[in-house]
Amino acid sequence: MNDSPMPSPLLAVEALSVHLRTDAGLARILDDVSLTVPPGRTVGVVGESGCGKTTLMRAILGILPRSAFVPRGAIRFEGRDILADRAASARGRIGFVPQDPYLSLNPVFRAGDQILEIMRRHAPGTRRDHRAKLIELFRAVQLPDPEAALEKYPHQFSGGQRQRLLIAAALSCDPALVVADEPTTALDVTTQREILALLRRLAAERGLSLLFVTHDFGVLAALCDSVTVLYAGRVAESGPTRAVLDDPRHPYTRLLLACHPDRASDLTGIPGTVPAATAQPAGCRFHPRCPIARADCANAPPPLLSLPGGRSIACPHHADALPEPALA
Amino acid sequence: MPDPILAARGLVVELGGRRRLFRSIPAVRAVDGVDLAVAPGETFGIVGESGCGKTTLARTLLGLQREAAGEILLEGRVVSGQEPVAARRMRAAVQYVHQDPGAALDPWWRVGRTLAEGLAIHGVTDRAEQEARIAETLAAVGLDAAMAARYPHELSGGQQRRIGLARILLLRPKVVILDEPTAGLDLSVQAAVLRLLRDLRARFGLTYFFISHDLSVVRRVCDRVAVMYLGRIVEEGSAEALFREPRHPYTRALLAAAPRLDGQAAGPSLPGDPPSLRAVPSGCRFHPRCAMAVPLCAAQDPASEAAAPDHIVACHRWRDVPTEHRDAA
Repeated sequence: MNDSPMPSPLLAVEALSVHLRTDAGLARILDDVSLTVPPGRTVGVVGESGCGKTTLMRAILGILPRSAFVPRGAIRFEGRDILADRAASARGRIGFVPQDPYLSLNPVFRAGDQILEIMRRHAPGTRRDHRAKLIELFRAVQLPDPEAALEKYPHQFSGGQRQRLLIAAALSCDPALVVADEPTTALDVTTQREILALLRRLAAERGLSLLFVTHDFGVLAALCDSVTVLYAGRVAESGPTRAVLDDPRHPYTRLLLACHPDRASDLTGIPGTVPAATAQPAGCRFHPRCPIARADCANAPPPLLSLPGGRSIACPHHADALPEPALA
Repeated sequence: MPDPILAARGLVVELGGRRRLFRSIPAVRAVDGVDLAVAPGETFGIVGESGCGKTTLARTLLGLQREAAGEILLEGRVVSGQEPVAARRMRAAVQYVHQDPGAALDPWWRVGRTLAEGLAIHGVTDRAEQEARIAETLAAVGLDAAMAARYPHELSGGQQRRIGLARILLLRPKVVILDEPTAGLDLSVQAAVLRLLRDLRARFGLTYFFISHDLSVVRRVCDRVAVMYLGRIVEEGSAEALFREPRHPYTRALLAAAPRLDGQAAGPSLPGDPPSLRAVPSGCRFHPRCAMAVPLCAAQDPASEAAAPDHIVACHRWRDVPTEHRDAA
């Protein structure tokens, strides 16, 4: 992203490409993706399956699969390139909240011990310090009876409580950034709402930055200051969340939001499917499905155009009206 | 309302419950006194949090789970009170689409073989007829006939849903139970699947029993909606009325919790996890979490009342629930 309005972002993904060698050939999972997370802000990454949001998250966490490589680009965290200097990423300064609270804790160990193990590896202090701090964290994430919770096994917690445990784990080493991978999709809406409120409050109290990976626009609207929309491994559009949701500009974002049951006048879907990462179309990756594609769309990937209000759109024809049937 | 195609009266389902030598485990009532009537051709939605009993209710209607009390009527005939095998035979017109269509397909079998198996079980053994019906049904769900030669792992999530639908459509059901039919689907695929469901309902004259936790989807596709809480239906009405003017405090809290595109949080949040079926609260089951609870609520179980024509609510205080609260999204 060129002229970001925020100075010195905490996290800056700069023109990142991540490719993967597969039996079917080179998979271009991410190409030329840029985004920034300013200190204390919540940034959402949204897109459908196969858009590369999980790979982006893994690159930031430094847990890309072995077969992946980064031909271009950098990820800067607190000013340091954490891709080049792997040791820099592993200091607990980036916390992670996984998607599925039911799969993310080992059932045969006490939940508290599993978090203490993380702290032993990454946080300074003695075991006694860690225990005291974890009890304080359990209190912060509003687990009932924090001291007793230390002695419990994962199955003794409900789904919402397990997600609170995992949030406590993500915070256990005093991160500056927390990366959350759809942390509420496995939960009921009432629990989801509580967890989102908790994340918002913790981020505000602790001055945390959040990078929130999701496919749920409702969650995005509830939590994120700004959003980056990915399609087939490239940025389609980015900007302040309200502006993007109220007035989407990229044809993909417009069609996708028109699929939302709150908004759709008729349920149509988007014709075609997301291309395989091994067979990305030339030029704009959305052009084979795009109702306003022109001949030039197949030539070269469209550059990200900066618009007023901190928005960027990767579509030179974004001012064109979509044909009515596409949005009907 | 026309005669219901599927109805239940005072349905009670107990789960678990074993008597051992030294310790007996009491059964829990996952469904506790449910009345419902599904009109032919409608989409009847069931919403509620995990553990409220919506899947158990569906399994009982299907005949996989035996009811402990109450009656189930299919096209006016009593089909309850049977052993599971007999119950399923009597309810062949009711079919179920699994929540996870990938898990419901045998990974070692080509899709065509899985589809043919269902037909064979239901007595269609002629190879040519099987193939003709499979090709016809695949076309109806928008898939190419060549799809029959594929293995489940070769299909996308949306294609798997379509196969799951094709598999039960082959059996020419009248009532289809859809368990979370859009869970885990991307928005654009979800829209296509919902549209397909609507088209199939019209084309084959189906009735849907639609279980979902996605309130946006339920509002969009259901004609009528029942809200379940701890084994009871606490509110039921037309989707339009229920979403516009929820009467039960629980329904209001549930609707308020759903994330909305406009980003507005509507109303207060609901504290606490749903209580366990092993410790059902006295009186109104919702009272410990209810902001409007009064002493009566803990003492007496509220009866279902008609708040409006075709809008039933089980709450002592429904008249005091503010109604202007939720506007159209």
